[in-house]
Amino acid sequence: MAEDVVFTPVRQLAEGIRARRLSPVALAETFLDRLERLGPRYNAVVTVTRARALEQARRAETEIAAGRYRGPLHGIPYGAKDLLATSGGIPTTWGAAPFKDRCFDFDATAVRKLEAAGAVLCAKLAMVELAGGMGYRQPNAAFTGPGVNPWNREAWSGGSSSGSGSAVAAGLVPFAIGSETWGSILSPAGNCGLAGLRPTYGRVSRHGAMALCWTLDKLGPLALTADDCGLVLDAIAGRDPADPTTVDRPYRYDGGEPAVRRFRFGVLRGIADGCEEAVRENFVGSLEVLRGLGTVEEVALPDLPYDDITRTILFAEAASAFEDLIESGAIAGLTAPEDRYTAYARDVILAKDYLKALRLRGVMAREADRVLAPLDALVAPGRSTVAAMLGGEVRSAIRGTARDVMGAVGNGAGLPAVAVPNGFGARGLPTSLQFMGRAWEENTILAAARAYQSATDWHRRHPADS
Amino acid sequence: MSQADAVRAEVETMLALVRERYGSRLDAEQLAGVRTAIEGIVQAARALRAVRLSNADEPAPPFAAYRADL
Repeated sequence: MAEDVVFTPVRQLAEGIRARRLSPVALAETFLDRLERLGPRYNAVVTVTRARALEQARRAETEIAAGRYRGPLHGIPYGAKDLLATSGGIPTTWGAAPFKDRCFDFDATAVRKLEAAGAVLCAKLAMVELAGGMGYRQPNAAFTGPGVNPWNREAWSGGSSSGSGSAVAAGLVPFAIGSETWGSILSPAGNCGLAGLRPTYGRVSRHGAMALCWTLDKLGPLALTADDCGLVLDAIAGRDPADPTTVDRPYRYDGGEPAVRRFRFGVLRGIADGCEEAVRENFVGSLEVLRGLGTVEEVALPDLPYDDITRTILFAEAASAFEDLIESGAIAGLTAPEDRYTAYARDVILAKDYLKALRLRGVMAREADRVLAPLDALVAPGRSTVAAMLGGEVRSAIRGTARDVMGAVGNGAGLPAVAVPNGFGARGLPTSLQFMGRAWEENTILAAARAYQSATDWHRRHPADS
Repeated sequence: MSQADAVRAEVETMLALVRERYGSRLDAEQLAGVRTAIEGIVQAARALRAVRLSNADEPAPPFAAYRADL
Protein backbone atom coordinates (compact mmCIF):
# COMPACT_ATOMS: atom_id res chain seq x y z
CA MET A 1 0.00 0.00 0.00
CA ALA A 2 1.29 3.45 -0.87
CA GLU A 3 2.11 5.72 2.05
CA ASP A 4 -0.54 8.21 0.97
CA VAL A 5 -2.68 6.88 3.82
CA VAL A 6 -0.21 8.42 6.27
CA PHE A 7 -1.59 11.59 7.89
CA THR A 8 -5.10 10.62 6.85
CA PRO A 9 -7.54 11.13 9.73
CA VAL A 10 -9.21 8.09 11.25
CA ARG A 11 -12.60 9.14 9.89
CA GLN A 12 -11.36 9.03 6.29
CA LEU A 13 -9.43 5.81 6.83
CA ALA A 14 -12.60 4.28 8.24
CA GLU A 15 -14.59 5.30 5.18
CA GLY A 16 -12.01 3.59 2.99
CA ILE A 17 -12.04 0.44 5.09
CA ARG A 18 -15.80 0.28 5.24
CA ALA A 19 -16.03 0.69 1.46
CA ARG A 20 -13.29 -1.94 1.14
CA ARG A 21 -11.02 0.45 -0.73
CA LEU A 22 -8.50 0.03 2.09
CA SER A 23 -7.28 -3.29 3.44
CA PRO A 24 -6.77 -3.44 7.23
CA VAL A 25 -3.87 -5.83 6.69
CA ALA A 26 -2.16 -3.54 4.20
CA LEU A 27 -2.83 -0.58 6.47
CA ALA A 28 -1.28 -2.39 9.42
CA GLU A 29 1.75 -3.35 7.32
CA THR A 30 2.24 0.28 6.28
CA PHE A 31 2.21 1.60 9.82
CA LEU A 32 4.21 -1.32 11.25
CA ASP A 33 6.91 -0.61 8.67
CA ARG A 34 6.93 3.06 9.62
CA LEU A 35 7.07 2.24 13.33
CA GLU A 36 10.05 -0.04 12.78
CA ARG A 37 11.83 2.29 10.34
CA LEU A 38 11.09 5.71 11.83
CA GLY A 39 10.22 4.93 15.44
CA PRO A 40 13.88 4.91 16.60
CA ARG A 41 14.44 8.35 15.03
CA TYR A 42 11.98 9.81 17.54
CA ASN A 43 12.54 7.43 20.49
CA ALA A 44 8.82 6.91 20.09
CA VAL A 45 8.43 3.18 20.43
CA VAL A 46 9.10 0.64 23.16
CA THR A 47 7.68 -2.43 21.41
CA VAL A 48 6.30 -2.91 17.91
CA THR A 49 3.51 -5.45 18.37
CA ARG A 50 3.71 -6.86 14.84
CA ALA A 51 2.33 -10.35 15.49
CA ARG A 52 -0.66 -9.11 17.48
CA ALA A 53 -1.32 -6.35 14.96
CA LEU A 54 -1.35 -8.64 11.96
CA GLU A 55 -3.58 -11.14 13.74
CA GLN A 56 -6.05 -8.37 14.61
CA ALA A 57 -5.84 -6.86 11.11
CA ARG A 58 -6.52 -10.22 9.43
CA ARG A 59 -9.50 -10.74 11.70
CA ALA A 60 -10.81 -7.27 10.82
CA GLU A 61 -10.38 -7.94 7.13
CA THR A 62 -12.25 -11.24 7.36
CA GLU A 63 -15.09 -9.74 9.39
CA ILE A 64 -15.53 -6.74 7.11
CA ALA A 65 -15.48 -8.95 4.04
CA ALA A 66 -18.25 -10.97 5.67
CA GLY A 67 -20.29 -7.81 6.27
CA ARG A 68 -19.60 -7.58 9.99
CA TYR A 69 -18.36 -3.99 10.24
CA ARG A 70 -17.91 -2.95 13.86
CA GLY A 71 -17.57 0.81 13.44
CA PRO A 72 -15.09 3.58 12.67
CA LEU A 73 -12.12 2.04 14.48
CA HIS A 74 -12.47 -1.34 12.78
CA GLY A 75 -9.13 -2.10 11.13
CA ILE A 76 -7.52 1.18 12.28
CA PRO A 77 -3.94 0.88 13.60
CA TYR A 78 -3.03 2.59 16.87
CA GLY A 79 -0.39 2.78 19.56
CA ALA A 80 -0.79 2.65 23.34
CA LYS A 81 1.30 4.48 25.90
CA ASP A 82 3.43 1.85 27.59
CA LEU A 83 1.65 2.15 30.91
CA LEU A 84 -1.32 0.14 29.63
CA ALA A 85 -1.10 -3.54 30.44
CA THR A 86 -0.97 -5.90 27.49
CA SER A 87 -1.06 -9.68 27.50
CA GLY A 88 0.66 -12.10 25.18
CA GLY A 89 4.24 -11.49 26.28
CA ILE A 90 4.26 -7.85 25.21
CA PRO A 91 6.21 -5.94 27.87
CA THR A 92 4.63 -3.07 29.79
CA THR A 93 7.52 -0.98 31.01
CA TRP A 94 6.03 2.24 32.39
CA GLY A 95 9.00 3.86 30.63
CA ALA A 96 11.20 2.83 33.53
CA ALA A 97 14.36 0.73 33.40
CA PRO A 98 13.44 -1.31 36.51
CA PHE A 99 10.37 -2.59 34.62
CA LYS A 100 11.73 -2.92 31.10
CA ASP A 101 11.18 -6.68 30.95
CA ARG A 102 7.94 -6.86 32.95
CA CYS A 103 4.87 -8.48 31.34
CA PHE A 104 1.26 -8.73 32.46
CA ASP A 105 -1.13 -11.56 31.68
CA PHE A 106 -4.12 -9.34 30.93
CA ASP A 107 -5.09 -6.37 28.81
CA ALA A 108 -6.00 -3.01 30.26
CA THR A 109 -9.68 -2.21 29.85
CA ALA A 110 -8.91 0.53 27.31
CA VAL A 111 -6.89 -1.94 25.21
CA ARG A 112 -9.66 -4.51 25.51
CA LYS A 113 -12.32 -1.98 24.47
CA LEU A 114 -10.27 -0.90 21.47
CA GLU A 115 -9.89 -4.53 20.45
CA ALA A 116 -13.66 -4.93 20.74
CA ALA A 117 -14.05 -1.91 18.45
CA GLY A 118 -11.76 -3.64 15.94
CA ALA A 119 -8.75 -1.36 16.35
CA VAL A 120 -5.32 -2.83 15.64
CA LEU A 121 -2.63 -2.47 18.32
CA CYS A 122 0.63 -1.83 16.45
CA ALA A 123 2.92 -0.52 19.19
CA LYS A 124 3.51 0.20 22.83
CA LEU A 125 4.72 3.78 22.84
CA ALA A 126 7.48 5.41 24.82
CA MET A 127 6.80 7.64 27.80
CA VAL A 128 8.55 9.54 30.54
CA GLU A 129 9.47 7.06 33.26
CA LEU A 130 6.59 6.50 35.69
CA ALA A 131 4.63 9.16 33.77
CA GLY A 132 6.88 11.84 35.18
CA GLY A 133 5.81 11.19 38.73
CA MET A 134 9.27 11.25 40.26
CA GLY A 135 10.08 14.91 39.56
CA TYR A 136 12.04 14.89 36.28
CA ARG A 137 13.38 18.24 35.10
CA GLN A 138 14.60 17.50 31.56
CA PRO A 139 13.55 15.39 28.57
CA ASN A 140 16.03 12.54 29.04
CA ALA A 141 13.87 10.77 31.59
CA ALA A 142 13.02 7.41 30.01
CA PHE A 143 15.05 4.29 29.41
CA THR A 144 14.19 4.66 25.71
CA GLY A 145 15.76 8.13 25.61
CA PRO A 146 14.12 11.53 25.33
CA GLY A 147 11.01 11.81 23.15
CA VAL A 148 12.09 13.54 19.93
CA ASN A 149 9.79 16.04 18.27
CA PRO A 150 9.06 15.38 14.57
CA TRP A 151 8.83 19.13 13.93
CA ASN A 152 12.35 19.73 15.19
CA ARG A 153 14.53 16.83 16.15
CA GLU A 154 16.42 18.94 18.67
CA ALA A 155 13.21 19.50 20.62
CA TRP A 156 11.18 17.36 22.99
CA SER A 157 7.87 15.70 22.17
CA GLY A 158 6.58 15.09 25.69
CA GLY A 159 5.65 14.74 28.31
CA SER A 160 4.77 12.35 29.65
CA SER A 161 2.97 10.71 26.70
CA SER A 162 6.01 11.53 24.57
CA GLY A 163 5.83 8.52 22.26
CA SER A 164 2.09 8.95 21.78
CA GLY A 165 2.76 12.52 20.63
CA SER A 166 5.71 11.88 18.34
CA ALA A 167 4.25 8.69 16.85
CA VAL A 168 1.04 10.36 15.70
CA ALA A 169 2.83 13.53 14.59
CA ALA A 170 5.34 11.52 12.54
CA GLY A 171 2.63 9.42 10.92
CA LEU A 172 3.67 6.19 12.63
CA VAL A 173 0.10 5.52 13.80
CA PRO A 174 -3.21 7.30 13.05
CA PHE A 175 -3.99 7.68 16.74
CA ALA A 176 -2.58 6.82 20.14
CA ILE A 177 -3.72 6.49 23.72
CA GLY A 178 -2.01 8.64 26.31
CA SER A 179 -2.61 9.39 29.96
CA GLU A 180 -2.80 12.63 31.87
CA THR A 181 -2.34 13.28 35.55
CA TRP A 182 -1.42 16.92 34.96
CA GLY A 183 -0.59 17.87 31.38
CA SER A 184 0.54 14.56 29.91
CA ILE A 185 -2.00 14.50 27.07
CA LEU A 186 -2.37 18.20 26.36
CA SER A 187 1.38 18.88 26.50
CA PRO A 188 2.55 16.31 23.93
CA ALA A 189 -0.45 17.17 21.74
CA GLY A 190 0.55 20.83 21.88
CA ASN A 191 4.25 20.17 21.45
CA CYS A 192 3.63 17.95 18.42
CA GLY A 193 0.83 19.88 16.67
CA LEU A 194 -1.90 17.31 17.38
CA ALA A 195 -5.35 17.08 18.87
CA GLY A 196 -5.31 15.62 22.37
CA LEU A 197 -8.36 14.92 24.51
CA ARG A 198 -8.31 14.69 28.29
CA PRO A 199 -11.66 13.17 29.23
CA THR A 200 -13.59 13.88 32.40
CA TYR A 201 -12.19 11.97 35.38
CA GLY A 202 -14.19 8.76 35.59
CA ARG A 203 -15.11 8.68 31.90
CA VAL A 204 -12.50 6.10 30.88
CA SER A 205 -11.48 3.08 32.93
CA ARG A 206 -7.88 3.07 34.18
CA HIS A 207 -7.97 -0.65 34.99
CA GLY A 208 -4.65 -2.05 33.86
CA ALA A 209 -3.04 1.38 33.63
CA MET A 210 -0.14 2.34 35.86
CA ALA A 211 -1.42 4.36 38.79
CA LEU A 212 0.44 7.58 39.40
CA CYS A 213 -2.29 9.44 41.30
CA TRP A 214 -5.58 7.67 41.88
CA THR A 215 -7.67 10.81 41.98
CA LEU A 216 -5.99 12.57 39.05
CA ASP A 217 -5.15 9.94 36.39
CA LYS A 218 -7.11 9.93 33.12
CA LEU A 219 -6.67 8.10 29.80
CA GLY A 220 -7.40 9.74 26.47
CA PRO A 221 -6.54 9.88 22.77
CA LEU A 222 -4.05 11.85 20.72
CA ALA A 223 -4.93 12.07 17.05
CA LEU A 224 -4.75 14.26 13.95
CA THR A 225 -8.10 15.97 14.58
CA ALA A 226 -10.53 16.67 17.38
CA ASP A 227 -13.08 14.62 15.44
CA ASP A 228 -10.79 11.59 15.59
CA CYS A 229 -10.44 12.07 19.35
CA GLY A 230 -14.21 11.82 19.63
CA LEU A 231 -14.29 8.61 17.64
CA VAL A 232 -11.69 7.06 19.93
CA LEU A 233 -13.35 8.28 23.12
CA ASP A 234 -16.59 6.67 21.96
CA ALA A 235 -14.80 3.33 21.96
CA ILE A 236 -12.96 3.57 25.28
CA ALA A 237 -15.50 5.39 27.48
CA GLY A 238 -17.83 3.68 29.89
CA ARG A 239 -18.29 2.22 33.32
CA ASP A 240 -15.99 -0.59 34.32
CA PRO A 241 -16.51 -2.58 37.53
CA ALA A 242 -12.74 -3.03 37.64
CA ASP A 243 -12.28 0.73 38.05
CA PRO A 244 -14.62 2.01 40.76
CA THR A 245 -14.01 5.63 39.75
CA THR A 246 -15.77 5.13 36.42
CA VAL A 247 -19.33 6.35 36.32
CA ASP A 248 -22.50 4.98 34.85
CA ARG A 249 -22.92 7.73 32.25
CA PRO A 250 -23.06 6.18 28.80
CA TYR A 251 -21.12 8.20 26.26
CA ARG A 252 -21.83 8.45 22.54
CA TYR A 253 -19.71 10.76 20.44
CA ASP A 254 -21.80 13.34 18.61
CA GLY A 255 -19.75 14.05 15.51
CA GLY A 256 -22.41 16.11 13.79
CA GLU A 257 -21.41 19.23 11.91
CA PRO A 258 -21.09 22.11 14.41
CA ALA A 259 -21.57 24.86 11.81
CA VAL A 260 -25.16 25.49 12.80
CA ARG A 261 -24.47 26.38 16.41
CA ARG A 262 -22.89 29.42 18.01
CA PHE A 263 -20.56 28.97 20.95
CA ARG A 264 -20.03 30.95 24.11
CA PHE A 265 -16.36 31.01 25.06
CA GLY A 266 -14.74 32.32 28.22
CA VAL A 267 -11.16 33.44 28.77
CA LEU A 268 -9.69 33.66 32.25
CA ARG A 269 -8.37 37.13 32.94
CA GLY A 270 -4.62 37.27 32.33
CA ILE A 271 -4.42 33.67 31.15
CA ALA A 272 -1.83 34.47 28.47
CA ASP A 273 0.38 36.50 30.82
CA GLY A 274 3.77 34.89 31.08
CA CYS A 275 3.39 32.96 27.84
CA GLU A 276 6.05 33.12 25.14
CA GLU A 277 5.39 35.91 22.66
CA ALA A 278 4.43 33.61 19.79
CA VAL A 279 2.13 31.61 22.06
CA ARG A 280 0.39 34.81 23.10
CA GLU A 281 0.17 36.12 19.52
CA ASN A 282 -1.25 32.84 18.25
CA PHE A 283 -3.76 32.80 21.08
CA VAL A 284 -4.90 36.32 20.16
CA GLY A 285 -5.27 35.12 16.57
CA SER A 286 -7.29 32.12 17.75
CA LEU A 287 -9.63 34.37 19.69
CA GLU A 288 -10.35 36.23 16.45
CA VAL A 289 -11.31 32.94 14.82
CA LEU A 290 -13.47 32.02 17.80
CA ARG A 291 -15.31 35.35 17.61
CA GLY A 292 -16.44 34.18 14.18
CA LEU A 293 -17.87 31.06 15.80
CA GLY A 294 -19.61 32.72 18.74
CA THR A 295 -18.88 35.08 21.60
CA VAL A 296 -15.75 35.46 23.70
CA GLU A 297 -15.93 37.01 27.16
CA GLU A 298 -13.48 37.55 29.97
CA VAL A 299 -14.21 35.64 33.17
CA ALA A 300 -12.47 35.23 36.50
CA LEU A 301 -11.96 32.55 39.12
CA PRO A 302 -11.64 33.48 42.78
CA ASP A 303 -8.15 33.79 44.17
CA LEU A 304 -7.21 30.30 45.36
CA PRO A 305 -3.86 28.47 45.33
CA TYR A 306 -4.90 26.26 42.40
CA ASP A 307 -1.44 25.03 41.46
CA ASP A 308 -0.64 24.24 45.10
CA ILE A 309 -3.86 22.26 45.53
CA THR A 310 -3.27 19.96 42.58
CA ARG A 311 0.49 19.74 43.16
CA THR A 312 0.05 18.64 46.77
CA ILE A 313 -2.47 15.97 45.79
CA LEU A 314 -0.18 14.75 43.02
CA PHE A 315 2.94 14.59 45.18
CA ALA A 316 1.24 12.85 48.08
CA GLU A 317 -0.55 10.25 45.97
CA ALA A 318 2.51 9.55 43.80
CA ALA A 319 4.61 9.01 46.93
CA SER A 320 2.06 6.48 48.13
CA ALA A 321 1.52 4.82 44.73
CA PHE A 322 5.25 4.21 44.40
CA GLU A 323 5.92 3.57 48.07
CA ASP A 324 7.66 0.25 47.39
CA LEU A 325 9.87 1.70 44.68
CA ILE A 326 10.85 4.67 46.84
CA GLU A 327 11.36 2.88 50.15
CA SER A 328 13.33 0.04 48.56
CA GLY A 329 15.64 2.49 46.87
CA ALA A 330 14.81 1.03 43.45
CA ILE A 331 14.28 4.56 42.12
CA ALA A 332 18.08 4.62 41.89
CA GLY A 333 17.60 2.60 38.70
CA LEU A 334 15.65 5.35 36.95
CA THR A 335 17.18 7.24 34.03
CA ALA A 336 16.92 10.90 35.05
CA PRO A 337 19.33 11.68 37.89
CA GLU A 338 16.72 13.86 39.61
CA ASP A 339 14.17 11.02 39.50
CA ARG A 340 16.51 9.01 41.75
CA TYR A 341 16.03 11.25 44.79
CA THR A 342 13.29 13.90 44.38
CA ALA A 343 10.53 11.57 45.53
CA TYR A 344 12.13 11.22 48.96
CA ALA A 345 11.03 14.78 49.66
CA ARG A 346 7.40 13.78 49.26
CA ASP A 347 7.68 11.27 52.07
CA VAL A 348 7.28 14.11 54.52
CA ILE A 349 4.11 15.75 53.23
CA LEU A 350 1.81 16.08 56.21
CA ALA A 351 -1.49 14.22 56.10
CA LYS A 352 -3.26 17.37 57.19
CA ASP A 353 -1.86 19.29 54.24
CA TYR A 354 -2.94 16.57 51.81
CA LEU A 355 -6.42 16.63 53.33
CA LYS A 356 -6.50 20.42 53.10
CA ALA A 357 -5.71 20.09 49.41
CA LEU A 358 -8.57 17.60 49.02
CA ARG A 359 -10.94 19.90 50.85
CA LEU A 360 -9.88 22.85 48.71
CA ARG A 361 -10.33 20.69 45.64
CA GLY A 362 -14.05 20.60 46.42
CA VAL A 363 -14.13 24.40 46.55
CA MET A 364 -12.11 24.57 43.33
CA ALA A 365 -14.46 22.16 41.54
CA ARG A 366 -17.53 24.16 42.55
CA GLU A 367 -15.98 27.48 41.54
CA ALA A 368 -14.81 26.10 38.21
CA ASP A 369 -18.27 24.73 37.51
CA ARG A 370 -19.86 28.06 38.44
CA VAL A 371 -17.65 29.86 35.92
CA LEU A 372 -18.11 27.20 33.25
CA ALA A 373 -21.87 26.72 33.64
CA PRO A 374 -22.98 29.53 31.29
CA LEU A 375 -20.14 28.79 28.84
CA ASP A 376 -19.48 26.12 26.25
CA ALA A 377 -15.78 26.23 27.04
CA LEU A 378 -12.96 28.11 28.65
CA VAL A 379 -10.24 28.68 26.08
CA ALA A 380 -6.55 29.23 26.73
CA PRO A 381 -3.13 28.52 25.28
CA GLY A 382 -2.52 24.78 25.48
CA ARG A 383 0.94 25.46 26.88
CA SER A 384 2.74 28.66 27.80
CA THR A 385 5.79 27.76 25.70
CA VAL A 386 6.72 25.72 22.66
CA ALA A 387 8.46 22.41 23.32
CA ALA A 388 11.64 22.46 25.38
CA MET A 389 14.94 21.66 23.70
CA LEU A 390 16.33 18.17 24.35
CA GLY A 391 19.27 19.49 26.33
CA GLY A 392 17.28 22.06 28.26
CA GLU A 393 15.18 22.16 31.36
CA VAL A 394 11.43 21.59 31.14
CA ARG A 395 9.36 24.37 32.69
CA SER A 396 6.68 22.66 34.71
CA ALA A 397 3.78 23.78 36.86
CA ILE A 398 4.08 20.47 38.69
CA ARG A 399 7.50 21.50 40.01
CA GLY A 400 6.46 25.12 40.38
CA THR A 401 8.72 26.51 37.65
CA ALA A 402 5.72 27.62 35.59
CA ARG A 403 2.12 28.52 36.31
CA ASP A 404 -0.73 26.52 34.81
CA VAL A 405 -4.08 27.53 36.27
CA MET A 406 -6.01 25.77 33.50
CA GLY A 407 -4.09 22.55 34.08
CA ALA A 408 -4.32 22.78 37.85
CA VAL A 409 -8.06 23.43 37.81
CA GLY A 410 -8.81 21.09 34.93
CA ASN A 411 -6.94 18.16 36.38
CA GLY A 412 -7.68 18.91 40.01
CA ALA A 413 -11.40 19.17 39.29
CA GLY A 414 -11.36 16.33 36.74
CA LEU A 415 -12.65 18.44 33.85
CA PRO A 416 -12.39 17.53 30.16
CA ALA A 417 -10.20 19.51 27.77
CA VAL A 418 -9.10 19.19 24.19
CA ALA A 419 -6.01 20.82 22.69
CA VAL A 420 -5.62 21.55 18.98
CA PRO A 421 -2.80 23.22 17.03
CA ASN A 422 -3.14 26.97 16.45
CA GLY A 423 0.14 28.05 14.84
CA PHE A 424 3.89 27.89 15.19
CA GLY A 425 6.39 29.57 17.45
CA ALA A 426 10.12 29.55 18.03
CA ARG A 427 12.25 27.01 16.17
CA GLY A 428 9.36 25.96 13.94
CA LEU A 429 7.54 24.30 16.83
CA PRO A 430 3.74 24.15 17.12
CA THR A 431 1.61 26.08 19.59
CA SER A 432 -1.83 25.03 20.72
CA LEU A 433 -5.25 26.15 21.87
CA GLN A 434 -7.21 24.34 24.57
CA PHE A 435 -10.95 24.13 25.15
CA MET A 436 -11.96 23.10 28.67
CA GLY A 437 -15.56 22.28 29.55
CA ARG A 438 -17.82 21.29 32.41
CA ALA A 439 -17.65 17.73 33.64
CA TRP A 440 -19.08 15.26 31.09
CA GLU A 441 -19.22 17.89 28.31
CA GLU A 442 -16.73 16.22 25.98
CA ASN A 443 -19.17 16.54 23.08
CA THR A 444 -19.45 20.28 23.62
CA ILE A 445 -15.71 20.95 23.69
CA LEU A 446 -15.14 18.58 20.77
CA ALA A 447 -17.81 20.43 18.76
CA ALA A 448 -16.05 23.71 19.55
CA ALA A 449 -12.65 22.28 18.60
CA ARG A 450 -14.07 20.84 15.38
CA ALA A 451 -15.57 24.22 14.53
CA TYR A 452 -12.18 25.84 15.14
CA GLN A 453 -10.48 23.23 12.96
CA SER A 454 -13.09 23.77 10.24
CA ALA A 455 -12.05 27.42 10.18
CA THR A 456 -8.28 26.82 10.26
CA ASP A 457 -5.79 24.50 8.62
CA TRP A 458 -3.08 24.08 11.25
CA HIS A 459 -4.05 20.43 11.70
CA ARG A 460 -3.42 19.73 8.02
CA ARG A 461 0.26 20.62 8.31
CA HIS A 462 2.69 17.83 9.03
CA PRO A 463 6.42 17.64 9.70
CA ALA A 464 8.55 17.54 6.56
CA ASP A 465 11.01 15.35 8.45
CA SER A 466 8.65 12.39 8.56
CA MET B 1 10.09 34.11 64.62
CA SER B 2 9.82 35.71 61.18
CA GLN B 3 7.92 33.94 58.42
CA ALA B 4 11.15 33.19 56.58
CA ASP B 5 12.61 31.67 59.75
CA ALA B 6 9.46 29.59 60.24
CA VAL B 7 9.67 28.29 56.68
CA ARG B 8 13.33 27.49 57.09
CA ALA B 9 12.67 25.66 60.35
CA GLU B 10 9.91 23.60 58.76
CA VAL B 11 12.12 22.72 55.80
CA GLU B 12 14.97 21.70 58.10
CA THR B 13 12.66 19.53 60.22
CA MET B 14 11.34 17.73 57.16
CA LEU B 15 14.80 17.36 55.68
CA ALA B 16 15.99 15.84 58.94
CA LEU B 17 13.27 13.21 58.63
CA VAL B 18 14.32 12.38 55.05
CA ARG B 19 17.94 12.22 56.16
CA GLU B 20 16.96 9.91 59.01
CA ARG B 21 15.05 7.58 56.68
CA TYR B 22 17.12 7.69 53.53
CA GLY B 23 20.29 9.62 54.29
CA SER B 24 22.55 6.63 53.74
CA ARG B 25 21.46 6.54 50.08
CA LEU B 26 21.87 10.20 49.32
CA ASP B 27 25.01 12.18 48.57
CA ALA B 28 25.35 15.88 49.28
CA GLU B 29 24.16 16.93 45.83
CA GLN B 30 21.09 14.74 46.08
CA LEU B 31 20.30 16.02 49.55
CA ALA B 32 20.47 19.54 48.19
CA GLY B 33 17.97 18.51 45.54
CA VAL B 34 15.71 17.03 48.21
CA ARG B 35 15.96 20.27 50.17
CA THR B 36 14.85 22.25 47.10
CA ALA B 37 11.92 19.88 46.61
CA ILE B 38 10.92 20.18 50.27
CA GLU B 39 11.04 23.97 50.00
CA GLY B 40 8.46 23.72 47.22
CA ILE B 41 6.31 21.37 49.27
CA VAL B 42 6.42 23.68 52.28
CA GLN B 43 5.55 26.74 50.19
CA ALA B 44 2.58 24.90 48.69
CA ALA B 45 1.44 23.69 52.11
CA ARG B 46 1.61 27.17 53.56
CA ALA B 47 -0.47 28.49 50.66
CA LEU B 48 -3.08 25.83 51.39
CA ARG B 49 -3.06 26.51 55.12
CA ALA B 50 -3.67 30.21 54.46
CA VAL B 51 -7.13 29.50 53.03
CA ARG B 52 -9.84 29.22 55.65
CA LEU B 53 -12.53 26.59 55.17
CA SER B 54 -15.69 25.80 57.05
CA ASN B 55 -16.19 22.71 59.17
CA ALA B 56 -18.51 21.31 56.49
CA ASP B 57 -15.95 21.48 53.66
CA GLU B 58 -15.23 17.78 53.11
CA PRO B 59 -12.36 16.30 51.15
CA ALA B 60 -13.19 15.61 47.50
CA PRO B 61 -13.82 12.90 46.49
CA PRO B 62 -16.01 12.08 49.51
CA PHE B 63 -15.83 8.69 51.18
CA ALA B 64 -18.55 6.19 50.21
CA ALA B 65 -19.55 3.12 52.15
CA TYR B 66 -18.84 -0.14 50.36
CA ARG B 67 -21.05 -3.17 49.93
CA ALA B 68 -20.29 -5.92 47.44
CA ASP B 69 -22.98 -6.88 44.96
CA LEU B 70 -23.81 -10.50 45.69
